[in-house]
Amino acid sequence: MTKKINKRDIGKLLTQWNQEFAIFVPSKEGDTTKMTSWDGKDVSFLDWYRNTVIPPKASFFPPLEEMFHFQKNKGSYDLELPASDGQKKLIFGIRPCDAKALAILDMIFKDAYEDPYYLSKRENTVLVGLGCTNPYDSCFCTSLGSNPSDSANVDIMLTDIGDQFLMEAITDKGKSLIANTSGLDDATEADEARAKEAQETSYRKVTKRVDTKDIEERLLSCFEDQDYWEKVTAKCISCGICTFLCPTCYCFDINDELVKRQGVRFRSWDSCALPIYTKMPMENPREEKWQRVRQKVCHKYEFYPMNFDVIACTGCGRCIRQCPVNWDITQILASLPVKV
Amino acid sequence: MPVIDISHRKKFLAKGNVYLPHIVVIEKIIDETPTVRTFHFNFKDEKLRKEFTFESGQFAEFSVFGIGEAPFCISSSPTRSGHLEFAVQRVGRVTNALHRLGVGAEIGCRGPYGNSFPLDFLQSKNLVFIAGGIGLAPLRALIWNVIDNRDKYKNIDIIYGARSPADLCFRYDLDSWNKDKTVNIVTTVDKGDESWTGREGFVPQVLEQVAPSATKAVAIVCGPPIMIRFTFPVLEKLGFTPKQVITTLEKRMKCGIGKCGRCNIGNLYVCRDGPVFSYAQIKNFISSEY
Amino acid sequence: MEQRLRTEAKTLLEQDKVDYIIGFEPGILKFTTTPLITKDKDDIDRLVINSFIANNLANFLTELKGRVGIVAKGCDSRSIVSLIQDNKVAREDVVILGVPCPGIIDLSKVEKLVGKDRDELDDIAREGDKVVITTDGKRNEFSITEALFDNCLGCELPTPQEYDILLGEPTSPVAEIAASQTQIARLKEMTPQERWEFWKNEFSRCIRCYACRNVCPACFCQRCFVEETEPQWALPVPKWQDNLLFQVVRNIHVAGRCTDCGECERACPVNIPLRSLTKEMYDIVSDLFQFKAGMDKDAPPLMTHYEQEEAEDLVR
Repeated sequence: MTKKINKRDIGKLLTQWNQEFAIFVPSKEGDTTKMTSWDGKDVSFLDWYRNTVIPPKASFFPPLEEMFHFQKNKGSYDLELPASDGQKKLIFGIRPCDAKALAILDMIFKDAYEDPYYLSKRENTVLVGLGCTNPYDSCFCTSLGSNPSDSANVDIMLTDIGDQFLMEAITDKGKSLIANTSGLDDATEADEARAKEAQETSYRKVTKRVDTKDIEERLLSCFEDQDYWEKVTAKCISCGICTFLCPTCYCFDINDELVKRQGVRFRSWDSCALPIYTKMPMENPREEKWQRVRQKVCHKYEFYPMNFDVIACTGCGRCIRQCPVNWDITQILASLPVKV
Repeated sequence: MPVIDISHRKKFLAKGNVYLPHIVVIEKIIDETPTVRTFHFNFKDEKLRKEFTFESGQFAEFSVFGIGEAPFCISSSPTRSGHLEFAVQRVGRVTNALHRLGVGAEIGCRGPYGNSFPLDFLQSKNLVFIAGGIGLAPLRALIWNVIDNRDKYKNIDIIYGARSPADLCFRYDLDSWNKDKTVNIVTTVDKGDESWTGREGFVPQVLEQVAPSATKAVAIVCGPPIMIRFTFPVLEKLGFTPKQVITTLEKRMKCGIGKCGRCNIGNLYVCRDGPVFSYAQIKNFISSEY
Repeated sequence: MEQRLRTEAKTLLEQDKVDYIIGFEPGILKFTTTPLITKDKDDIDRLVINSFIANNLANFLTELKGRVGIVAKGCDSRSIVSLIQDNKVAREDVVILGVPCPGIIDLSKVEKLVGKDRDELDDIAREGDKVVITTDGKRNEFSITEALFDNCLGCELPTPQEYDILLGEPTSPVAEIAASQTQIARLKEMTPQERWEFWKNEFSRCIRCYACRNVCPACFCQRCFVEETEPQWALPVPKWQDNLLFQVVRNIHVAGRCTDCGECERACPVNIPLRSLTKEMYDIVSDLFQFKAGMDKDAPPLMTHYEQEEAEDLVR
């Protein structure tokens, strides 16, 4: 069931979907970009959008989230979960790398005890993917089993074929949504051929590479090589940018606030790059910067694959683009001193 | 990730949400040392009071509402019902707040989390317990369990040390184990005072002097990281293989269920895959991160 | 200048005058540079000096043990001097390789000028007081003042005053003071209520990555107040009120140490105009105490030093 839609009709399409869903689209806030609630009009993102600075994970795992409220009454406490808005959501234009990141996050948030906050939002959301036609020079998704047109992790996939988008339903959720959407044309064989060509062109535009062959073993073999890690992490400033903006980083902190008798327990993004993350009163197992960066690299390329059989990096390149000192993980992975 | 079966524990979730604590009430407070207190507690909810179960070695997340949450092992033994216990050393924000509480105070509790001591593996073995300071808390949850099922196990050796005589925790336990003829206990302090007539010396050194046999034995170790670091080589010298050494670890934790990220040792999470580990499981990563 | 730098740096390492060299090498991404911190003289040939050497390398001095040869633009040299004043760095442990700096190109301004992203540009070249941005083979010329970082436009010390080796001829300030303060001027025109709303909105975006603090040479505390828990001064979560509080206190802590290098604003991944706060504080310090950070290594540091005659003014 492949359809197509004129680019100039995207506003109408979103309006139609807006009847059933809260729509989220790429938007600018000053110079920062993220997925925010659609204002019902503006589709100018189609002109400027390459990817958002804040990854779409923020829609499911926000930087700050209320876990529950509590009220103090004479030494007793009443706990109350936040009301769920129950609103169905649709994210329009998620990139393949970020959709894959959500599939990676699903694994940890479903593992053993389910994480109710993340999963409830996830179940309630339709992902409409938009293939990349203009990847950044920092993108390296093709090295990680994905590509700029990868439709594996979205419900509906759009491919730019000039004046139109080819629209494929990938999941049952996507199929039923497209079946209930009016104003779509059937795609012709020529459209599909154009899409295929566009996808091949995009694929070739991703030129950055990492070699992931035997990466777990390579990392394990140099885990204790302090000199190496110290050298390659010397310029890191231990800020949280690369982890906070990473679409697969999920570490969080939990904190309370109590004002008068009303309290909130918050969950917020945390980062293995910050010393306080592992700090205990007497000791800090990752006091040194090289230990923390090593943890970040190993978690993505060694530990997560050991646990879930997938590298926790999608090659979106945010950590490279946004780093204040231009630290580049692909350089690190290429320079590992492999001991045989 | 190692598969863990938590289905039997899901019934303890408050409103089906793993992060939502239950309310527990502090029933008794014991001053162990100037900085350590044991809290006896029980669930406010009658049903949970009856149904809650746990195993020796497991921990729970306790919260002082408005201050925050922290993990503590359940230091009582599941073989002794009536109430639950946890011991707290005053070191930071949450522990200070806990120490300010009195009997009757309500706190939050969610759990039990983590794995437990492998009782099947320990059966019919000689057990060597090695603990430092408040590290005795998780071990006493096992020691009492073992003593209450005494015929299932062989020799019991306990080597327990603290910085000073005033820092020895659970003296009432030490007294009863001293009186128990089926238990060999050695207590030591780093530095004694005028009234101290017992041993002086760090736990690893005393372990080397006591030199328990490794034959058909398992060593169970808990203490500050520095003690654990120095104890492993001594055990190795005494002939204990990495599989014969079991430890229960402490790391900074928040979620308690393997998600928030910070307590990992390699690919394992102390809260999810531990806190009880064999030395064999963690020796690849532990040297430079613990 | 670049060749001279490489020669000097190599000599410093070879003659064992320093343990480390801190400079810049080309970044992997186009038109970027990245700090090079090395003990190895084979790395020295990678050192560059160009219009993109944005980082304030003084930031690394407090964590390196040993003697360091450091590449320093005017503002960086002031940060080094400020660290010397605060006893964080010993003068004899640093060899300052001074770079007269005609201003650093702000890539986000360049992107706005031509409406394209950095990686879509063919070339960015500085030609005197012009910047030439080549896109799709076409040259686009702009005045350099349109492409430099705001703080460079108001730079008070383009050529380091404190140095061991000066790598080029002294250069004069760009002196586009008004242009360097556009954002601040806009804020000053607002009513207090509007300004409050502005900052509330800006700080709602903050994700507490602490890049602003961690790139800042003046933020040298081993333990930052924001991470203290007993007492807890600010919640360690990105609530806008606490984000704002963090930034206000950080500002007070760097008062008299901030050299207006602009790193905090440049590093911010969500583009909060942090320099509007730090520069305002810089000017307040300058007016109130006639003190400019990092101008004189022998001057006592502002905030840890008290003069009898200050009393009347300070306690008003």
